[in-house]
Amino acid sequence: MTNDRSDKTFHPNRRGFLGVAAATGAASLAPGVLMGTAGLAEASESAPSQCVDASASTIASTLPSPLPGYLSLGPSEAGFVEAMVNVMCPADALTPGGVDCGLAAYIDRQLAGGFGKGARLYMRGPWREGKPELGYQLPLTPEQYFKTGLSAADAACRERNGAAFTELDESSANQFLHEIAGGKVTDERIQLASWFNELVYPLFEQACFADPVYGGNVGKVFWKAIGYPGLPAVHSQDMVDFRGKPFPGAADPKSIADFA
Amino acid sequence: MMVTRLKHRTVVFVGGGFTAALAARQLTAKDVDVVVLERGIDRTHTAATSLPSQRDELRWDVHGDLFQDWSVQTYTLRHNDGETALPIRRLQAFKPGEGMGGAANHWNGQTWRWSESDPILRTHLENRYGRKAIPAEMTIQNWGVTYAEIESYHDHFEKLFGIAGKAGNLLGKVQEGGNPFEAPRQNEFPQKPLPITEAGVIFSEATKKLGYKPFPMPAANSPEPYTNPDGMQLGQCQFCGHCERFICEANAKASPEVLLFPMLRKRKSFELRLQTHVLDILYDRNARRVTGVRYIDRVTGEEYEQPADVVVLSSFTMSNTRFLLMAEIGTPYNPKTGQGVVGKNFCHQTMSGTRVFFKDRWINPFLASGASQTVIDEFNGDNFDHSGLGFFGGGYIYANVTNGRPITSRAVPPGTPKWGAEWKKANADWYAHNFSITAHGSWYPHRENYVDLDPIYVDAYGQPLLRMTFDIRENERQMSVYLSKKIDEIAKATGAEIAPPTAPRKGPYDSRVYQTTHVTGGTIMGSDPATSVVSPHLQHWDAPNLFVVGASVYPFNAGYNPTGPLGALALRLGDDLNDYVARPRRL
Repeated sequence: MTNDRSDKTFHPNRRGFLGVAAATGAASLAPGVLMGTAGLAEASESAPSQCVDASASTIASTLPSPLPGYLSLGPSEAGFVEAMVNVMCPADALTPGGVDCGLAAYIDRQLAGGFGKGARLYMRGPWREGKPELGYQLPLTPEQYFKTGLSAADAACRERNGAAFTELDESSANQFLHEIAGGKVTDERIQLASWFNELVYPLFEQACFADPVYGGNVGKVFWKAIGYPGLPAVHSQDMVDFRGKPFPGAADPKSIADFA
Repeated sequence: MMVTRLKHRTVVFVGGGFTAALAARQLTAKDVDVVVLERGIDRTHTAATSLPSQRDELRWDVHGDLFQDWSVQTYTLRHNDGETALPIRRLQAFKPGEGMGGAANHWNGQTWRWSESDPILRTHLENRYGRKAIPAEMTIQNWGVTYAEIESYHDHFEKLFGIAGKAGNLLGKVQEGGNPFEAPRQNEFPQKPLPITEAGVIFSEATKKLGYKPFPMPAANSPEPYTNPDGMQLGQCQFCGHCERFICEANAKASPEVLLFPMLRKRKSFELRLQTHVLDILYDRNARRVTGVRYIDRVTGEEYEQPADVVVLSSFTMSNTRFLLMAEIGTPYNPKTGQGVVGKNFCHQTMSGTRVFFKDRWINPFLASGASQTVIDEFNGDNFDHSGLGFFGGGYIYANVTNGRPITSRAVPPGTPKWGAEWKKANADWYAHNFSITAHGSWYPHRENYVDLDPIYVDAYGQPLLRMTFDIRENERQMSVYLSKKIDEIAKATGAEIAPPTAPRKGPYDSRVYQTTHVTGGTIMGSDPATSVVSPHLQHWDAPNLFVVGASVYPFNAGYNPTGPLGALALRLGDDLNDYVARPRRL
């Protein structure tokens, strides 16, 4: 795995992470924020990138670094989110791991911004539980809800797996997320399935596919992966010329920053 | 609180959207004094209408920055009278607009005339199937005006908005390549149809194989630069896939903020007052007249009373009904007795669809516009025999590609994991290779579906929210099963590698799922004051100087998009208002 120096300075745990896991055999998903970063960074220096195929590391090396630092997430929250996005978006031939794609940064920025603070959300009481079809009914802002759910999910994880979420190996962590999404993990106060499916999962999808200006989808990596040509999309002639044919612009998508 | 009383005006519109602009066009052409009160802003030359920010899917689509702000005002929902309604805290089911142009800023541009039989639906169904065939709980009624009476307004509206399409019925003669079920038109569309998409090519082949007659959807996306009869101009559509939920920065989507407001604002007798939130319609019960409106200036926070000779409610479906209920004008509908009218016949749109996936066909969903679609109309309205089917109504079925926006419009085959490497690969494999085949179905009224004022929840101004008591009932469920089978037959005929069966619409009504912005009813039109809020001239039965325009006047929702007849009705209202202002009376 290739790491440039400036990248390591800011978040040594990220790109080195999968390499570390492979090298140490720990196969843990815990990022450096929980485990101490120095050793990890050092380990990654010498670790061969055994668990990541060549094309993935090529993609990673050509991408810009994700936004450094967090505005909303604290260290343990960041640890959970980083582990989660790396499970949901493992490094492969299409994209690097979730953290390297900026997915954790995206989620953090959304929680810290208007969305997280409840912009455009009706927030008056009284508060009652309702049928799922009536939608969200808790007196929490999305940021508060995200973190309350995170903490409940981690507590449930310790109970079920005897370990924090960040301590699970990739396959156990993936299974735990599927159990949450499928309603198999419960909490007394938070409906974890709807927390995950209606708050966390949409944030994950947005992190992958929103314009990179928001912090996710770094280097338009997901747009390239699927062939979305991005902006500004002036297609009156393309519409005819490329009907039923591969569209060349899909290989080199443009985003907001390309027009700034 | 201190309320400043303003100078008396002739006609005041509550809400500055599509219908207000069209009616005001007629009034100000005759120099009648008009004030339009609009709660939002003019977005011309803002981020919403400028590149590259106009193409920001997260901001305009996911976060809905053009839509009504739910933190200020939302609606409550319950599925039946026995439940306690709760506020929909972030509504997804439909998307009312805010700002000059209203919801017509962010529409797709799908512009239909309804069937010739729709304005006389009850009579038509009774004649064809017998009086007893219509269930008692299905409270459909005639409009009180016929298609023939508004045809010239349709024609006028289509020219103003430069609608692109192919006529299917010119003066009763069926035209090759158009919709053979179309109501008779006096003229061809003002613009030629949009070019067909790859999805449209596939859909056409499949539907022709099945004996149907596909045709291009009538579109308000301009295929060429266009100058309308007012000298207002549309640019050429760029097929950028950012119509619905966006404002077109190329001015190629016919909308009031492009074609009407810039012209109206130059007229001497027209005034648009932005960022004004109307609180009340002022009603003199003894005189049976409205005297004006009270509003709050959203810039200064100050309250004003605007006296007027005539008040026109031209806000969204929901707000039109809510204003009447708050002012206690007309009798609220009572579902137990069937008496009363305000809030009656609330309807939405019955949507269902599947996705067809092709290994070797390049669909390129991003090369599309909001209405660049290919359609069949065999199963809409009463275009097919309903004998023994157990339902009335229907819908058009179409190759539904309006965009390739990657957050919300991506699709993967069923069975794909929701995340992980396999999910990523499925996205990469199928993104450019699938499209939706959708039925856009009618929603007929049901006695137990209605809106009234919520007894508990209030908006940011302390006024009650509108409450929906609403669910999808047996008629629509059965219709959806029928249309979904037709979709599946077409999907199979496309030869797609993957064509999962269509899930018909079922209850309970879900506020979390977008189902078009076509909610209708609540202030319905008709010839009988006992069963309608407004007359066929859209004049309120209880206050002759109050008029209501919008989809709230539709007594039911057809399987067509609501905009075309609204354009016709709004232009006709403008002419009626000129008549009324000259000589006030019951029209």
